[in-house]
Amino acid sequence: MSFAIQSLWDVIVLIAVVLAIAPWFGSYLGRVFMNRPVAGDVVLNPIENAVYRLLGTSPRRSMTAREYMVALLCLNGAVFGFLLAFFLLQGVLPGNPTGVPGMSWDLAFHSAASFTTNTDFTHFTNETQVSFASLVVAWQLALFLSAATGLAVAAAMIRGFVRKDGTVGNFYVDVTRAVTRVLLPLSVVGALVLVLMGVPETYSYVVVAHPLTGGTQTILLGPVASFQSISLLGTNGGGWYSANMASPLANPSALSNLFGTFVMMLIPFSTPFAFGQMVRRRGEAWPFVGTILIVFVVALGLFIAYQAATNPFLGGISGLTVGSNGYPVGQETRWSLSEGSLFQVVSVYANVGANNMQIGAISPGGQMVLLFGMFTQSTPGGEGTGFTTLLLFAVLAIFVGGLMVGRTPEYLGKKITTSHVKWSALAVLVHPASILIPFSVAVLGGYVDLSGPTIGATAHNFSSVLYEFTSESANNGSALSAASVNDTTVFFNVAGGLIMLLGRFVPIYAMLRIGGLFSKQDVIPPGPGTLRTSSATFTVFLTLFLIITTALLFLPVLALGPLGQIVGGP
Amino acid sequence: MSARPPFPQLPPGPSEPRVLPAHTPGGHVRASAVLLVLTLLVSGFAYPLFVTGVAQLIDPSAANGSLLYYQNGTVAGSSLVAENLSAPFLFWERPSLTDYNLLNGTGTAPGPSDPALQALLNETLNYTREYGEFTVNASIPFWFVAPSASGVDPDLVPEAVLIQIPRVANATNLSVANLTALVNAHITQPLIPDLGVPYVDVLRLDLALVGITGET
Repeated sequence: MSFAIQSLWDVIVLIAVVLAIAPWFGSYLGRVFMNRPVAGDVVLNPIENAVYRLLGTSPRRSMTAREYMVALLCLNGAVFGFLLAFFLLQGVLPGNPTGVPGMSWDLAFHSAASFTTNTDFTHFTNETQVSFASLVVAWQLALFLSAATGLAVAAAMIRGFVRKDGTVGNFYVDVTRAVTRVLLPLSVVGALVLVLMGVPETYSYVVVAHPLTGGTQTILLGPVASFQSISLLGTNGGGWYSANMASPLANPSALSNLFGTFVMMLIPFSTPFAFGQMVRRRGEAWPFVGTILIVFVVALGLFIAYQAATNPFLGGISGLTVGSNGYPVGQETRWSLSEGSLFQVVSVYANVGANNMQIGAISPGGQMVLLFGMFTQSTPGGEGTGFTTLLLFAVLAIFVGGLMVGRTPEYLGKKITTSHVKWSALAVLVHPASILIPFSVAVLGGYVDLSGPTIGATAHNFSSVLYEFTSESANNGSALSAASVNDTTVFFNVAGGLIMLLGRFVPIYAMLRIGGLFSKQDVIPPGPGTLRTSSATFTVFLTLFLIITTALLFLPVLALGPLGQIVGGP
Repeated sequence: MSARPPFPQLPPGPSEPRVLPAHTPGGHVRASAVLLVLTLLVSGFAYPLFVTGVAQLIDPSAANGSLLYYQNGTVAGSSLVAENLSAPFLFWERPSLTDYNLLNGTGTAPGPSDPALQALLNETLNYTREYGEFTVNASIPFWFVAPSASGVDPDLVPEAVLIQIPRVANATNLSVANLTALVNAHITQPLIPDLGVPYVDVLRLDLALVGITGET
């Protein structure tokens, strides 16, 4: 192992920069979703008001949690239907210069569910199974609206803490402002920065090159920078190319890799501060930021350490010089081990799901670290919903902690009742259920053959299916894809599509209902029995609560996959 | 007990009382449909067209795919896409699971504990040893036999390029000193130390090499 510790400097600087910007940007986000005056109002307010009139709504029509969910399902249902139709008909629709055929019904279902739910898990090869128009028009629409939906859910749930009228806000207004104030302006800037770093942005799609050794080579271009920019910013993780952010065209240099990492981190790391701003107690952001940082930094350190070690399964190969990266198979050359690892860990922990490496080829330890991030799905988790998942864990932790020390379970002056705990438990338990039940069905029902020539190979196939269902349930989108596991069957398309829809909309409904419950309650003034939630003690408690709950739920299944490979050895 | 007040409060913001009735079912359908269409116009058309317009102004070379050309103007490839350059008189790229063809997707590398990985690496290593004409018993950088993630990684660590010099010198009649100078001139160093790694863009290097030898 020859990992150079000084190569970590840019990783540390990047995390520091994000933490320096996050309080400021989070406060901006908070002001946007509380309809407070922010920069850009002069230009954008008239535009937004015109949009509200076209929609037939108004910021003063605040919705109950149930109505908010109806609105959310209406818009997301419309997006889903649009994508489904588009993918089925892409062969005959315009904007198809490479003559891609329409998708089969099961693949179209999986893809439409995947993009609507902010997952962007793909069962196809982009270059031959998705048309140009499907990428730019259909998929890109979902990149914007699924991210905006996540932000809206967070805004609605948080409003419960500051309202007493039983409403959580107007979904259409929240989505509109998420697009006009956050996603669109930042995507434009991000896309132009990516172009300056070498990413293509053109409407000529196919270029034929004539290599030195004869023949021809087809190079696909397109508006790649704009697609990748919103994909990373909105924690979608979809790639213009099937190689995603490992593709040199989408991610040409170490610098673009770091910039992409920054774009992915920006909103998830800022959302706790938006919460602090919205509940008007900025100190309340820190337990969440602390929990996220502890889990994330430990995960990153472990990931780098696992990747720097030499692969023990490669005993029989001599004459190879191993550099700082012990697992160069399925990795790209142009960034260092620590930079590549930072991107990948951020991508999975923020539920983006973009890859700059082949996860199936990394160390079993690295795979386990990534799985853990998708099990918690809240450190920091995806756009909006990652934070609200952590908020659910906080509600449960306060309830449990309150019982342990004999304090009244209340949070920010709102009492936590059995109803809150029931909804929180439902949202938290949907995740393991929608991973482990389909997994058992797939294995026991004979829909997938996990057996390999050795135990190591079988464990790898096991990890692949576990990773797939976990990624879909967490709305992550990254894939481990073992070579001998075929996940493009009707079973995997239908099961995967249903898992993504369940893993997205059931927790969202629970989050909105909890927000609605809080919104009906009066604020209790803090007394001597109040649990102080902006303290270091609570931060540590929340961290341990999160880790122990996750470990209890998932440790057995880890033991059969990556943990088995680590402990079992070659 | 702590001397600090329990909840430091910011000044209250304006409240947003609900004064209008809930939407009708038809109202929801209309709002969703109109919002979808408006977002579609922005995300699917205005946004990529605007960014493309500005990109073509600020950096046309990058915006059009960092293409490399022969002297007669034909496209030789992109500096961001590897080609199959496995000829004796050229420097080779990293191996590809997709035959350097973007239309083949990315391919899937065998897992770390899969015996297929060892088999694949041994196969590549044997081919490399047989046709590479390296100095006898030279240790080969792992990167040189490890297939990339994208299948079209155009870059190679400098050590993996330098060990190919004996073969290229043999096939082209150029001196080892000249080739070493050529390779060293094509090593891209990080802008700031340890921001990225030093690497060689092999297609650029080979285009320069062919420019000298005239051999194709």
